[in-house]
Amino acid sequence: MGALSLARAALVCAALGLLIPPWYGPDSGFTTWPAGEAAPLVLLLARGEAWWLWPLPLILLACAPALLGRRAEGRMLVACGAAAIAWVFLQGWAIGLPGTVWSIAAPFVGADATQPALGWGATALLTGAAGLLAAGLAARGRFGGDAFVAFLVTGSAALLILFVFAPLLTILSAAAIEDGKIAPGALVGRFAAPEAWSLACVTGSLGCGVVWNTLALATLTGVLSTLLGLAFALLAARAKLHLGGAFRALAILPLITPPFVVSLSLIVLFGRTGMVTEALSALLGIPRSRWIYGLPGVLLAQLLAFTPIAYLLLEGAVRQIAPSLEEAASTMGARRFTVFRTVTWPLLRPGLAAAFLLGFVESLSDFGNPLVLGGDFDVLATRIFFAIAGARHDPGRAAALALLLLGLTLGAFALQTAWLGRRRYVTVTGKGDAGVPTPLPRGLAIACGAVAFPWMAFTAIVYAIIMLGAFVHDIGRGDMTFTWRHYVTAFEVEWFQGLVFRGAAWDSLFTTIEVAAISAPLTAGLGILLAWLLARQSFPGRRTLEFMAMLSFAIPGTVVGVSYIMAFNVPPLELTGTGLILVICFVFRNLPVGVRGGIAALAQIDRSLDEASATMGGGAVATLRRVILPLLRPAIIAALAYSFVHAMTAVSAVIFLVSARHNLATVYIVGRVEAGEIALAIAYSSVLILIMLAVVLGIDKLVGRAQIGRRAPAGAMQPAPVPVTA
Amino acid sequence: MADPAIRFERVTKSFGPVRAVDAVSFDLPRGALVTLLGPSGCGKTTTLRLIAGLELPSEGRIEIEGRDVTRLAAAERRIAMVFQSYALFPHMTVLENVAYGLSVNGARRAAAEAEARAMLASLGLEGFEARLPAELSGGQQQRVAVARALVLRPKVLLFDEPLSNLDARLRRRVREDIRDLQRRLGLSVVYVTHDQQEALAVSDLVIVMRDGRIAQMGRPTELYEDPADSFVADFMGEANVIAGEVLAAEGGRARLRVGGVEVESAMRAHPPGPATLAVRPEAVTLAEAGGVPGRVVRAAFLGQTREYEVETAAGMLFVIAPASARAFAEGAAVGCRLERVIPLRG
Amino acid sequence: MTSRRVFAAALFAGALAALVPGSARAQGQLTVYCSVQEEWCRPMMAAFERATGIRVAMTRKSSGETLTQIRAEATNPRGDVWWGGTGDPHMQAAEENLTVEYRSPRLSELHDWAVRQAQQANFRTVGIYAGALGYSYNVPELQRRRIEAPRCWADLTKPEFRGEVQVADPNTSGTAYTLLATIVQLMGEEPAFTYLKALHRNVNQYTRSGAAPARAAATGETLVGITFLHDAVTQKVNGAPVELVGPCEGTGYEIGSMSIIRGARNLDNAKRFVDWALSPEAQAIGAEAKAYQLPSNRNAPIPPQAPRFEAIKLIDYDFARWGSAAERNRLLARWDREVRAAAR
Repeated sequence: MGALSLARAALVCAALGLLIPPWYGPDSGFTTWPAGEAAPLVLLLARGEAWWLWPLPLILLACAPALLGRRAEGRMLVACGAAAIAWVFLQGWAIGLPGTVWSIAAPFVGADATQPALGWGATALLTGAAGLLAAGLAARGRFGGDAFVAFLVTGSAALLILFVFAPLLTILSAAAIEDGKIAPGALVGRFAAPEAWSLACVTGSLGCGVVWNTLALATLTGVLSTLLGLAFALLAARAKLHLGGAFRALAILPLITPPFVVSLSLIVLFGRTGMVTEALSALLGIPRSRWIYGLPGVLLAQLLAFTPIAYLLLEGAVRQIAPSLEEAASTMGARRFTVFRTVTWPLLRPGLAAAFLLGFVESLSDFGNPLVLGGDFDVLATRIFFAIAGARHDPGRAAALALLLLGLTLGAFALQTAWLGRRRYVTVTGKGDAGVPTPLPRGLAIACGAVAFPWMAFTAIVYAIIMLGAFVHDIGRGDMTFTWRHYVTAFEVEWFQGLVFRGAAWDSLFTTIEVAAISAPLTAGLGILLAWLLARQSFPGRRTLEFMAMLSFAIPGTVVGVSYIMAFNVPPLELTGTGLILVICFVFRNLPVGVRGGIAALAQIDRSLDEASATMGGGAVATLRRVILPLLRPAIIAALAYSFVHAMTAVSAVIFLVSARHNLATVYIVGRVEAGEIALAIAYSSVLILIMLAVVLGIDKLVGRAQIGRRAPAGAMQPAPVPVTA
Repeated sequence: MADPAIRFERVTKSFGPVRAVDAVSFDLPRGALVTLLGPSGCGKTTTLRLIAGLELPSEGRIEIEGRDVTRLAAAERRIAMVFQSYALFPHMTVLENVAYGLSVNGARRAAAEAEARAMLASLGLEGFEARLPAELSGGQQQRVAVARALVLRPKVLLFDEPLSNLDARLRRRVREDIRDLQRRLGLSVVYVTHDQQEALAVSDLVIVMRDGRIAQMGRPTELYEDPADSFVADFMGEANVIAGEVLAAEGGRARLRVGGVEVESAMRAHPPGPATLAVRPEAVTLAEAGGVPGRVVRAAFLGQTREYEVETAAGMLFVIAPASARAFAEGAAVGCRLERVIPLRG
Repeated sequence: MTSRRVFAAALFAGALAALVPGSARAQGQLTVYCSVQEEWCRPMMAAFERATGIRVAMTRKSSGETLTQIRAEATNPRGDVWWGGTGDPHMQAAEENLTVEYRSPRLSELHDWAVRQAQQANFRTVGIYAGALGYSYNVPELQRRRIEAPRCWADLTKPEFRGEVQVADPNTSGTAYTLLATIVQLMGEEPAFTYLKALHRNVNQYTRSGAAPARAAATGETLVGITFLHDAVTQKVNGAPVELVGPCEGTGYEIGSMSIIRGARNLDNAKRFVDWALSPEAQAIGAEAKAYQLPSNRNAPIPPQAPRFEAIKLIDYDFARWGSAAERNRLLARWDREVRAAAR
């Protein structure tokens, strides 16, 4: 796209924003449009209101003549776009709903000038201004002179700053604020607090600091889930067992399970009056204890949840090890076990590191399982939540703990880079490798089986309990009379002058599906576009953009939720209480996975394909639409599935953001758990699991069909080609 | 219309501190096949990508047929390029691949496909339209890539090492096909290769590059027979580079002192004095005596030719002699007559 | 093909628009934050809608979360009424000027304890129900261990209850803070902390949610669970083998409260809601929803399962003092330091 056409489109967009939709986002919505408080900016100005917004139409007018005269003057477009954006935000901060916020503006507008939050008109104007800015930069030769790329970079950078970076700054600045003032002393005190760093558990019977707890749990979860995942991966890839279906089911189920549910099932099994505990006590006289509450229980629940991820990662890693390397070792006389120890294992290192890191990070940010099973064992995620939502509301302390959690996560990433950075482990060269994978050494196969099969059975039992619990009176108390009543409570439907959804769960279920279905395509789209920008375009600030896109991966959900409610409750940006804030929260939380998936998939696509398209006259838009996106289809679909599922199972981030009209299934389930209605919680969860299962399996089928037609290389068998007879 | 097909004016491309292309200027005539030749890392591919618009220059100015394209994106330059990997779109059929360029430039689907079909037919690819690229042989893929480029009727056609993925037998045939096509259609072609034989065989003009600069530019025979420096001499086929002294040189003959011996050889005019001289291996004839004396260190029989390494007072000489000439055994004392000597400037 | 795409895009845009604030916020609207259990919230709101024709948008959240939300939204309030939940957060909200004063004409119909609490809060909050603190124990577990049934707070520190008492963490739960404040008021601060330290040795877990120990006692996960008694009644009505104890020394209580949020956008409707919610009819809904608290209106029917205040020795709970943020933080800090941090 040329800079001129982008600039014109942007100008039209901005002008429409001035002329048609309501400038402000009043609560009456469009009802009074185009008069009243829902008036567009032109009418407001004509009525003599909000006169401090006059510069905006003037700025647009300033750059119009040049554009009508078919000239895209880079410098002026940049100035206009930047000025419009800056003015919208500056006046928005300076003049708020309660009155003039910045005293510096008071002499000009009066102390009691008020205005509500920005609405659709302002949104359109800002979009247009970003377009003008981008067109200007492109006209000046930035971003390879491509206006489309310029617009994507400007737009996504703006979105990331607004919805990832700014909220984070808001909450983190709270760590250094006490009683409304900046207090470095308080910051130091909060960081060094004994609640975080106490080592009392080493010396006595007291609990340790929450940082140590978190680290211990995350390390154990990381190591054990990696080892379990490895056992499964080796069996799946190298032992001649046909378990594909069972393994896939095992891998998918925990990914689509809402939080708490595994924990609830573990209590039913291993609580002091749990089924297994009772049986052991009755048969073997093993005294009943409460071991499940605390580190062991949380660890068990997290292993159930995260082992499948490790398995998926490691299975890929095992399959990618070129058999010829192992064959090379065997031809040099190494025995099977030696081959495994000296060749296979070292080549697995990057996979192992990735699996460990994922388990570690997931454990750090897990909130649901420690909440239900933690007992006295506190981790950072729950401590942060209760520092904000508990009886002692202390956002400063929460922010300091959040910084510690962020530090742990970033530290883990840094360690991984340090460990892997020194060597290269590329074994996939693009050349076909015709070798046959070495089977596992016998001893190892038996060991893997001995670990993996009991674990599989255990997982199956845990899920069986969930399914069973939904259909009996009270599985927690052992009341196993069959009943539908939990489903009736949750999903009752009545025919009363049309279909009426009476059940208690319908509202939250509909909202959840709607929010998930809207945020998933947005996440996938933005993620893939960003991946394409990061992998294929070079522009100044690329590393920064990548960092911002990946940042939300490291921020625990609780922190995101609170930061959103702090950052987006007041004009100029007021989103709390809407469904939009849920969508935005999900989009930017799940974005890193889409970006990563996209980058990985793009790495498989030779750059020369883009370049070929470019030399044939395909601009960035055509190349993206006709070449890159079709080839990225599996990655897009994976991102879609991931963000849909995560939008349906997330809880920690959105527990603060749900509102009267937009409640979510998981938050509703948390409420049920809190009220001790475990059966209803389980019943609702089972429905969610089924919905997500249907979605994921459907998507899996689609991906299966989306494989590029890379049939057998027929050409290799054909005779030398006919000479060019042109 | 006197504008050259491509004009570079002091074009520089830096990647960080590295100057991949360093203040390069040239004019490439229309309707000619120009080869960019050089070892890997010499900047030839970057130069090609600068022409294509896949890289934008850090400094300087680029024109295509008189139009300034310095800041123009690849899509707007009306060039076409055949990639080393062919870069065929794996998810499109052969026909869709060839029609792609037409349709992104706004042609209607039916028209684009008809034109693509005609182009495929003219390159002998009838019947392959519905196949996916993965189902073609390397040579067929290469021709699809050429068809895809030609169908756009580009002002300039660029080739980036188009033969490197083909086996040796195919290479010669395909490079001749490309040359025929270029001549027949009067195309301006820029062709990148690191293979000097390929360059000599197909080019109207060769540009030898080294470290981001042009080492020498000229017709193939010029470069071979009159290389500017030892780098070009060595790169354009093998050369023995020796130190010597020009005693007198005029009328195409010269008297030289080489290895302490006075010899006579064909050579262009050169002022008397010490000089660096290049001697092609086939420009040395071995005899029992005469010329520069030496001793055969290694001898090899290659069928059509024999190769010798001869130790002389001027250094080791590499000699290629026709198999029909007299053979010498290793250790034999010989005299090396220099038939043709090239004085080097550098 | 194209038309299908347009249709899909339109559908998507429509769905997006539905999420945006908007069109439906006409005059007859009220936003209620509800902090009791869902089963009680829903019929309450439905009954109010039927009675007045005002449309209610309701969110259910625990009282701690709700207070957080109201604080965060203080500059731009979203909610109108905060209905239900233990009184302390309501007192705190009143103290922090997050709620507004309103004297309902129905104040005269209320029990003394409700009126007293409203006075203490300068009428920024009003009691809608009360629940006494106490504990419940699991009968079969008790018999299996052959332990004598406990009757008093003091019984819980006996060695046979070692590791068998469950109570919430006062940092996260209003219930547990009520216990802390009750023991302090009952015994005086120093003896109270001696008692709490002794109790600490018998506590197996400090839960986060106040009602969780009742559930744990019902399933036998713990022998004794300290909660509000109505939470234990709910378990008992559901068939759990538990017995309820109103401790012999006397006990504190909570007053479930209701406040109008400062800056409410539908202030008139909010006042109508408060008046209605104090009526006997509205207060009868709790029992139907299996909420066995004592209603604050003297004329409201008392659920037969509800623990009678007459049968329980109630202390004269000073909500203003122990509900204030300063006192609360001081007590909690001391509890953290001396009780929670002690060895078991």
